[in-house]
Amino acid sequence: MQTVLNLLEMEPIRFFISFGAILFLVLNLAAILTMAERKTAGYIQLRYGPNRVGPRGLLQPAADVFKLFTKENVSPGRADLWIFLGAPIAMFIPAAAVWMVIPFAPNAVVANLNIGILFFVAVTSIGALGVIMAGYGSHSTFSLLGALRGAAQMISYEVPLILSLLGVIMLTGSLSFVDVVNSQGPNFWGWYFLPQLPMALTFYIAGLAEVKRVPFDLPEGESEIVGGFMVEYSGMTWALIQASEFASMGLMASINVTLFFGGWQPPLEFLDLGNFNWIWFGLKTALIMFTFQWIRWSVPRLRMDQLMDLGWKILVPITLVWLFVTAGAMLVF
Amino acid sequence: MLSEERRVEESALTQPASGRLANPDVRDEFGLETLDMNMGPQHPAMHGLLRLILELDGETVVRCDPVMGYLHRCQEKIAENRMYPAVIPLTDRLDYFANMHNEHGYVLAVEDVLGVEVPPRAEYIRVLMCELMRLASHIPSVGFLMLELGAFTPILYSFRERERIQSIFEAVTGARMMFHYIRIGGVKADLPEDIPQKIWDYVETLEANFQRDFVDLIQGNEIFISRTRGVGKMTQEKALEMGVTGPALRCTGVDFDIRRDYPYSIYPELEFDVITDTAGDVEASYRVRIAECLQSIRLIKQCLEKMPEGEVLGDTGRRIRPAEGEGFGRVESPRGEYAVHVVSDGTDTPYRVHYRDPSFCNMQLLQEVVPGHYLPDIMPIMGLVDPVSGGWDK
Repeated sequence: MQTVLNLLEMEPIRFFISFGAILFLVLNLAAILTMAERKTAGYIQLRYGPNRVGPRGLLQPAADVFKLFTKENVSPGRADLWIFLGAPIAMFIPAAAVWMVIPFAPNAVVANLNIGILFFVAVTSIGALGVIMAGYGSHSTFSLLGALRGAAQMISYEVPLILSLLGVIMLTGSLSFVDVVNSQGPNFWGWYFLPQLPMALTFYIAGLAEVKRVPFDLPEGESEIVGGFMVEYSGMTWALIQASEFASMGLMASINVTLFFGGWQPPLEFLDLGNFNWIWFGLKTALIMFTFQWIRWSVPRLRMDQLMDLGWKILVPITLVWLFVTAGAMLVF
Repeated sequence: MLSEERRVEESALTQPASGRLANPDVRDEFGLETLDMNMGPQHPAMHGLLRLILELDGETVVRCDPVMGYLHRCQEKIAENRMYPAVIPLTDRLDYFANMHNEHGYVLAVEDVLGVEVPPRAEYIRVLMCELMRLASHIPSVGFLMLELGAFTPILYSFRERERIQSIFEAVTGARMMFHYIRIGGVKADLPEDIPQKIWDYVETLEANFQRDFVDLIQGNEIFISRTRGVGKMTQEKALEMGVTGPALRCTGVDFDIRRDYPYSIYPELEFDVITDTAGDVEASYRVRIAECLQSIRLIKQCLEKMPEGEVLGDTGRRIRPAEGEGFGRVESPRGEYAVHVVSDGTDTPYRVHYRDPSFCNMQLLQEVVPGHYLPDIMPIMGLVDPVSGGWDK
């Protein structure tokens, strides 16, 4: 028995097992989030949401996945097939890979990279590539417009996103997510969202834009460009795009929690659950994701020029100013 | 003939854009090409079956050509071969968000040529139904505007209200959309006994919750304001030039309402305000619609209070055969002036029926107003015009 455990802890095997676990988590998260999204929408919109398949409709995601698996994968006649079919993969892999550097509980992190935050920034920006591939490959004007919007949006919102991370990095003195969580301490007044409130808000907003959620869902823009870059996808390719959207939404929520809301740390010290602190992590992440959904079903969408104004004229100056404030405070105290 | 048209249309799409730019100065500075794009007729957010041929410079619209005709049903020709009362159910199919007004306009025209007396109770019921219909059209159109801006929730709130109004209609007329209720000389049947109370209760609750459901969620929203203020802006002169009527005209500040300026039915006896706004943009049209809903509630209450007893269907004889002549009826439909012109040649079928539908006339705005706006602004402008497919295609 002991030898098996030792074997499991050997590096390549441990890594592959953890990778499988992460993939399992991400794919299930996408399914659960679609369900949660539809239920939230239902209750906000005076209806019930899915309630037919299984008890209280809980098997709806399974039915959805089954339907999508059995659907024909249609591609446009003049599509560039390699790019067209590669795009969902190029979108999904970055969304799933970043989960590996997130600490779920004390000692529960797949790869404790000392440059975890840098890894997150670098890998999520690959997601924009998938959007461009999808738009270019499907040979449709709607897709092309959606892809151009997506590229512009994701690249410009990278800037405030990265700038808003800098405050936390300066306070921690480390680029590792584990160090960031450990330095925040087991009480909520120690978490970084208090000293870094403008940064936390900027990160939240830029994160919303980065994962293309309402009010920043311009690349989809279903009322103008009918789904944008994903308009030509069907069946499993579409499901993969959806899965990567939801995975990156969950990712953005969990990074938000990790950086500004104490990661797995309990809100008060006596609520410490030891190795079960992942419950706190899950609760906080779920709360943030709920606010994403709440916003989605409440507000309309911005326009491209207004989006750019918000990013460059409001968010970037806020982060820059607060960067100087943080630096000054660190010098003084 | 058809193939000829198609060829013309296709050549319009395949020719280089430079030949038919509305304003050649918009681009060419960098020698960049514009992008041709077909929006609709199968577009999930488009109002009905409208096709817009767009020419895009980046995301700026350079040219916008509405193509209509995807729902053409030869309504006017069919009407020529039917007896006068049998045209009423056809008019239901025109503007399917204002069925009562369609019936009312046609019936007014036929009564004009026939010279028949309508019992006062029938007039009150007609106005009551038309104002309910206006509520059932204005409230969803606000929801559609929000849907076009990307907010999904208000449409469901507004359809809840439409649903309740439709059940009132169902109780009164027997149908939820295609009523065939307003007849030549009156209305089909009297109101069921409990319905006046139900309508009263309904408008009371609607009035009480109106602010919460349709104003608080929408009007102060920063994104809503930035998406609609100054979008689709037009001047009074332009709007009058294009023959725009209804909320789209009133939001520019022109004080014009058929109900007051060319009164019909019992509107002179009722009190109501004509709502105008000065901005002339999408936000102003939203405000006008919202305020008109409250005026409609006011009118409904007055109708219910003043409703006399008596007959609901006047005597028109067994066969409606007007003398040779012309009849004209105009009503203020939720979208603007809906007018019907009936020409009689002395037989029991009309010689000619012409509908002037506000959806069709207001549609002209698109060509003028849309160029220069961004692509996402098209949809809010459609919300300003608020056309209905069955209306513009007849």
